[in-house]
Amino acid sequence: MKKEVVQPIRTHKIFKPQEEWKGIIAIYLYLAGMGAGSFIIGTLIHWSGVALNPLPNSTIRLFNDSLNLSELPLFWGPILVAMGAPFLILDLGIKWRFMYACLNPKTSWVSRGFIILSTFILLGLAFLAKSILPFNWLHAESFFWSIVEAIAFVFAIGTALYTGILLKATKSVPLWNTKLLPILFLMSALSTGSMAILLSTLGTGLLSYESRTLELLKGTEQILVLIEGVILFLFLLRNYKTMEQAKHSVRLLLSGEKKWIFWGGIVLLGFIFPILLENISSYYPENLILIYASGIALLCGGFFLRLGVLSAGIKDQIPMKRLIEVQYGIGLMERTGLRGERFYHSEKNKKIYP
Amino acid sequence: MDDKVLVIDPQKCTGCRLCELVCSVFHTGSSNPSRSRIKVLKWEDVGIYIPLTCNHCEKPFCVEVCPTKACHREPENNNRVTIDKKLCIGCRTCIISCPFGHPFFDVQERVTVKCDFCDGDPQCVRFCDIKAVSFVSAGETSIVRKREFANKYLDLLRYGK
Repeated sequence: MKKEVVQPIRTHKIFKPQEEWKGIIAIYLYLAGMGAGSFIIGTLIHWSGVALNPLPNSTIRLFNDSLNLSELPLFWGPILVAMGAPFLILDLGIKWRFMYACLNPKTSWVSRGFIILSTFILLGLAFLAKSILPFNWLHAESFFWSIVEAIAFVFAIGTALYTGILLKATKSVPLWNTKLLPILFLMSALSTGSMAILLSTLGTGLLSYESRTLELLKGTEQILVLIEGVILFLFLLRNYKTMEQAKHSVRLLLSGEKKWIFWGGIVLLGFIFPILLENISSYYPENLILIYASGIALLCGGFFLRLGVLSAGIKDQIPMKRLIEVQYGIGLMERTGLRGERFYHSEKNKKIYP
Repeated sequence: MDDKVLVIDPQKCTGCRLCELVCSVFHTGSSNPSRSRIKVLKWEDVGIYIPLTCNHCEKPFCVEVCPTKACHREPENNNRVTIDKKLCIGCRTCIISCPFGHPFFDVQERVTVKCDFCDGDPQCVRFCDIKAVSFVSAGETSIVRKREFANKYLDLLRYGK
């Protein structure tokens, strides 16, 4: 006699990543992080007092005044952050209400971020304007601007950290709800920022390829990339070992539908290409193309890191839904390794789920 | 007066989704369940339906993360947690934060919306003939649940199941 076919109830769960925050938020997080990181590195170079090459065409005439662009490659970070902010506004449901976003700094990290970013953009752009504009009444060498620079530096660190804290503060996405995320984004901000400064100073001629400062900058950038790699590994490992949804997020990144972002964008472009190309370029000092290529790859990798983390975030299951699924054994085979009817007809599970 | 809450009885729900329909008509004027503030979770293969609505939590995440204070509590209206449409910017932070998957983004109004007890007369309760959704005082529902638990415990002692 033919055995009756047992129709199992649905035996697999479908884990859908969140779709509220998409690529446009990743661009915002990326530009904010990179801008803040480049301002931090640029300010550190400025404070270190290293000799910078005089730029051949560093002044341009505007009306009757001449603008001095010699420090622009060091302090262009706030411009990037200012370019990133409109992407956040673009993502809002009602865009013209964006100013309302600062109304609840007491508890909301979106509000706090609005204030941190706005302060950084204003102070950073003011400092940049001071270094460009030739007006005497600005008293460019006064102590006041050192204070502005120091405050902008603190807010730049705040901006770089904030991009991670914003995601962490949402709490319901286990992949993001870890202290390692702000540190990971801070490291990524510093590595992409240092690369942005490296490219801008090298491209404009502010630092020559042979200079010790550039060597130091390259070394720092490589160390930052390595630290970022270690933190990324720990971040994935911690998430894989802990909560269920976080584990599925990591699976989604490593072998699921987001694997192209992870392996192609983050690992290849963000880590392997830059380190490989920079090491090759040290044998061919006259060939700057390799440095530029590694720089662009690293900058792309920074973007894909944000995009990957953002798009792989799976929300915690609704407790009621979880209860029903546990009660009726839906998705339990994922934890036991058994499939379909085998799960329900195994002797062990008959006792647990009669 | 005791605050009232929406209480769901999953065992009674038949999955007709009338609650979704009347909710959307009341709030938006259109009979479009996708714009409703109540959603029915379904497991068709096992015949289980659970209408899910806002829990109006004691410490709501949506209120905590809202950058504009649009999401706020109204103690005078059954202590409900509601969203002021005039303040909402549609950032969707509350949607990501809520562990109960409640606030919804209304694609036509471009703001986040959630259950507001229909200003004291929940339409889902009014139209649910089998009373799978009821609007009762918070004290009463806790007594009912304690009684249910006590009965189940007694059954367990008596019959061992």
